[in-house]
This record gives sequence, structure tokens and C-alpha cells, in this order.
Amino acid sequence: MRSIVVRRQSPTQSPWAIGAMTAGSVVLAFLVAAILFLPFESNPLQAYVSVFDASLGSWRGLAITLNRAAPLILIALGTCVAWRAGFGFLGFEGCVTLGAAATAWFALSALDEGIAGSIPVVLFFIIAIFISFITGGIWAGGMGLLRSRFGGNEVLISLMSNYVAALFVQYLVAGPMRAPGSLPQTPRFPIETWLPNLIPGTRGHIAIVIAVVASGLVWMLMSRMRLGYDFIATGINPRAARYGGINVRQKYVLAAFFAGGLGAMAGLVEVLGTQHRLLDGLSGGIGFIGIIVALLAKLNPLAVVPAAILYAALSVGGDALQRSTGAPSSIIFILQSLIVLFVMASDILRYYRFRSPFVNSGLTHHA
Amino acid sequence: MLDDFGLSAFVITWLAAAVRLAGPLVLTALGEIFAERSGVLNVGIEGTILIGALAGYLITFETGSPWLGIVSAIAAGVFVNLFLAWMYVTVQANQVVVGIVFNIFALGAASYGYRIAMGQASSPELIPMFNPLDIPVLSDIPVLGPVLFSHSILLYLTIAAALVANYVLFRTRFGLNVRAVGENPYAAANAGISVSRIRYAGVLLSGAGAGAAGGYLVLAEIGLFRDTIVVGQGFIALGIVIFGRWKPVYALLAALAFGAADALQLSLQLFEFDAPPQLLLALPYLLTIIAVSGLIGRSAQPAALMQPYRP
Repeated sequence: MRSIVVRRQSPTQSPWAIGAMTAGSVVLAFLVAAILFLPFESNPLQAYVSVFDASLGSWRGLAITLNRAAPLILIALGTCVAWRAGFGFLGFEGCVTLGAAATAWFALSALDEGIAGSIPVVLFFIIAIFISFITGGIWAGGMGLLRSRFGGNEVLISLMSNYVAALFVQYLVAGPMRAPGSLPQTPRFPIETWLPNLIPGTRGHIAIVIAVVASGLVWMLMSRMRLGYDFIATGINPRAARYGGINVRQKYVLAAFFAGGLGAMAGLVEVLGTQHRLLDGLSGGIGFIGIIVALLAKLNPLAVVPAAILYAALSVGGDALQRSTGAPSSIIFILQSLIVLFVMASDILRYYRFRSPFVNSGLTHHA
Repeated sequence: MLDDFGLSAFVITWLAAAVRLAGPLVLTALGEIFAERSGVLNVGIEGTILIGALAGYLITFETGSPWLGIVSAIAAGVFVNLFLAWMYVTVQANQVVVGIVFNIFALGAASYGYRIAMGQASSPELIPMFNPLDIPVLSDIPVLGPVLFSHSILLYLTIAAALVANYVLFRTRFGLNVRAVGENPYAAANAGISVSRIRYAGVLLSGAGAGAAGGYLVLAEIGLFRDTIVVGQGFIALGIVIFGRWKPVYALLAALAFGAADALQLSLQLFEFDAPPQLLLALPYLLTIIAVSGLIGRSAQPAALMQPYRP
């Protein structure tokens, strides 16, 4: 009898095999999380039914899910641009926070009948997007500059920058931008600056439209434009890219700029759409969940949209389940990270193939 | 303004807190040095600290023994890093990605584990801790006594661990193998060293260090568990490893500098200085950014860091 599992000479490239492995990993993650539901809900299948019923089963739930998916999409798009260019950026928490702060500053100046008070609403949103994009872009682009000019380690720089940005915004809402009252937060923005409603009768606003449009634009950038080609070439092999005439150092800075700008737009939709004021701890981990979404989408700007909706649905449904059965929403965190961990781990299966222990295939390789 | 007495009191509280806060950073950095010297950047230490803290807390809560707590914190750190080592070395996945996703997993798992073990408790329960020991004679020395010789036993063990780590890394065959694998895994393999075995050992040691750091946090500093007690300490330890040029004794000194930056904020608040606390809280992170920015010269990192070994 021969062994059932054989090591391949080189990993399989079959899209069917890779698709099956990805699907299997997702199912396995859902099974593990089902076990975690057991102490709170005797029937885990019922738990999943209520999770998706709460998040996708009604217009109200769907609206909240899409609101939550929008910032995840924007962050995941930023991840696609930066990581494809070989810039291991992890600073989205900071970009979200600073983008939100810049937007808040602009929206509140409308309250004081400053610059924003006297312009049409559409123009207000365009300028707000511009301001937040530039803020996040400069913040992240500076880290790109540290990498390309001084050889800094962008992974650690961007990780640390998250804490610096969070503390800066904490300072803003506790001091200069604080509203009168006991809570450290800014005053509520004037209602004209809120993102317009999309789904009538619910809280669903147009953030999801902004995010989907951004997804199309980033797809165009990466697959149809010279700059995107240069990014990808730089990411695959910087030395070969330089030999091919690409200014690799400049590409790191530009990729970081776009990533930071997209991350900051996530902050914009969060404050203008959902919170309507700036407060401490606003990003609440979405900067990292967005990265996971991008990984699940294999850094494809279009695949990011369904992946983000899945993750948003899980977290909205998880919150609802916590209210109804007391099952902690940390289970959803575990599920969201396990999916990606299992997908990554399944990569090792590409090196193996199964064969029947009895039938002789006629081919025997001796590695 | 402070008078002389006030100033010396300020300096003593500040430095004593600096030494105390440096403990977990040293432990984490020591382990991480072994992982990085073998060629693996283990970003998952942030989550490992949290897992270690939870294990230390729960076991001490159940048994009442902080010693059992610290041992189980280390064991939990090693256990979860078995998975990380498998992902880094056997699966050869992107090390940064695995580490980051693992940190999110660890946050969820620690929060879930605490909830399962403790129920929906209204207020966190305090556990027995390692008390500060006054070392006879030495602790009576002015200034130096309270700063260096009135800490819990864990701090002295941590300093001893730094010296042992230095000896192991630079004076033993195992240490030589670790460094060889991190510099040139192919040459090391040709010399008969098992690259995967050495890298597994490196990652597991970083798990032990980070787990111990979690235990230290809970059992010598805080006395209770929350899922917010590890705010970037694992990431700061990554910066300390770079500041310390991948050498255990230098990392010990670097961790003291970071501890001092962290403690400054506490002491200034205690003495009612008028400065935005956020600026001081940001100091350790800003220091790390400077350390890794490349502005102060690129220190020689292990040549094969983050490079999977494909024979």
C-alpha cells in the first residue's frame, strides 16, 4: 500500500484547488467559532442564522451593515495599493483617526459660519474629502519618505504612528476642540454636513456609494494605469523595477500617500456618516480589520467589496447576538481573524496531492 | 518650583517607576532577539503578551499562587507560539501578516477566555501579586536603594534572564547556531544545522519571553486583567530590539530608557506639572519611530530576517 499524501515538486497553480482550499478554510473557521457559541447558544446554527438575519435580513440591518462596510472597504483599498507596491503599511488606525479629525475641524467651521458655512453642500463634501485625503496622505506619505530616503522600517514606523495619532486626537477632544460638557468630544456637527441618506427609513447613508466608487477607481489605477503598473512592478521586484526605469523610491512615497488618503476617507465617512462628532477611540480597531479584509480579497480592489460586506455583516450580527443572548462579540473577532489565518495556512496544501492507496497511477517521482 | 527635597523625591519615584515599567519590555525584547537572530520577525508578541497575562491572571486567581501564575503565563506563551512558528517556518507565510492577524485573534481569544472563566463579573477581581522586596542593606542606600533594590523578585529574575540570554547567544553552540541561521540559513544548513528546528526554537523563546512579560504585567504591576492592558508594549519591544542592536544587554539598557519615558508621564502627573499628558504618553512611541526610522544610522539587522528558508 502506498502513502495517500504525496509531496509535489512545485505548488499547484490550479484555480479550482486554490478556490476549494479557500472555501474550506472559511468553513473551518465558521465551525471553530460555532464551538465558541456553545456556552451561550445551544444551537450554533441558530446563532449564525440570527447573526445574518440581524445584519442582512432587514433593510434596517442591511443599512447598518453597509454603513459599517464602507470604511472597511476604503481601508482595504488602501491596503491593496500600499501592499501591492511592497510598502508594508499598518498605520490605518492612525489615518482613520486623523482623517476624522481633519473632517471634524472642517465640519465644525461650518458651525461657526466660517468657510464651510457659506458654500453649497456638494462643494462642502468635495472639499471635505479633499482635506481628509490630503491629511492622511501626508501622514502616511511621510512614512514612505522615511523608508525611501533613510531606509526606515515602515512596518514598525506605521504601527507606532497609530498610537501617536490616537493620542493626538485624544488631546484635541480633551482640549482645543472639546465641547462644553462632561464627555471628551467635539460638539455635534451641523445637520447639513451629515452624509445624505441612501435607504429611506433607515440610517443607511451614501458612504457605501463613495466606497464602491473608490473601489472602481482603485481597480482602474492598479489594472489600467501606468502608475498602478509601476506600483505592482515595484512590489514584485524593486531591483528589476529600477532597472526597467521606474523611480522606485518615489513609488513608495506615492503608494503610501494613496493608502493614507484612502484610510483617512474611512475616517471621514465614519464621522460625517455615523458619529456626527469627533470622539476618542473612534477607529476602534477597524484599521486592522480593514487590512484583514484586503487579505481575504487577496489584495484585489474589486473583491474587497464583498469581503468587507461579509466582515461588516459578521460584526453587526455579532453585536445583535450579544444583546439578545449575551454571547460576547469577541467570538466575531476570533472568527474574522481565523478565516484569514486558515486561508494563509491552507497554502501549505498546495504542496501536497492525494492519491488512491491502491490504484497504481504509473508515475512515481523520487524527490 | 520644586525645592531640593521635592526634586529628589520626584527623581526617585520617576526612576523607580522606570525600572519597574521596563520589566515586561525587557522580557519581551529578550525573547524577540532570539526569534529575529534566527531570521523570524515575530510581530505576534503583542498578542502573546495578552495571552500570557490572561493565563497568569486566571491561574493565580484559581490557585492563589503568583508563582504558578508566572509559570503558566510562560507556558501559554510558548503554546500559542507553536502555532505561530508553524505558520512562519513550515507554512512560510508572510511573517508580518501572520503576526498582525494573530494579534487580532489573541485580542478576541483573551477577551472570550476571560468572559468564559469569570462570567459577567461586575468588577474585576484583584489577585495576589509579587510584592516588592527590600533587599537588606542595599535598599537603604539613598537614591539607589529605592530605585534599584526595592522591586519584586520578578524584576531581579528579569535582569538575570538578560545576562543568561547574552551568555547563551554569544557563548554557547546553540547561540552560534541561532546567529548562523539568521545570517545565512543556506550556509548553516550546509554545516549540518537544522534551520527549521533553530527557527522553531527562536520563535518559541520569543513566546516564552512575551508570555512571561504578560505574567509580569498582571502579577507585578496591575493585579487584575483587562483586554486593554497591553497597549503596544509588544510593538515597543520590537523597537527596543532594534535600539539594542539585537544584543540582550543593550536591549536591557534600551528598555530602561523606554521605561523612563513611560514613567515620566506618571511622575509628572503625580507632581502636578502642567503639560498635556498625551504628549508624554506618546514619548515611547515617538522614541520607537526614531529608532526604526533609519535617521540614526541603519544598525545591522540579521541578514536573513523575514526571509523564508526554501531548501
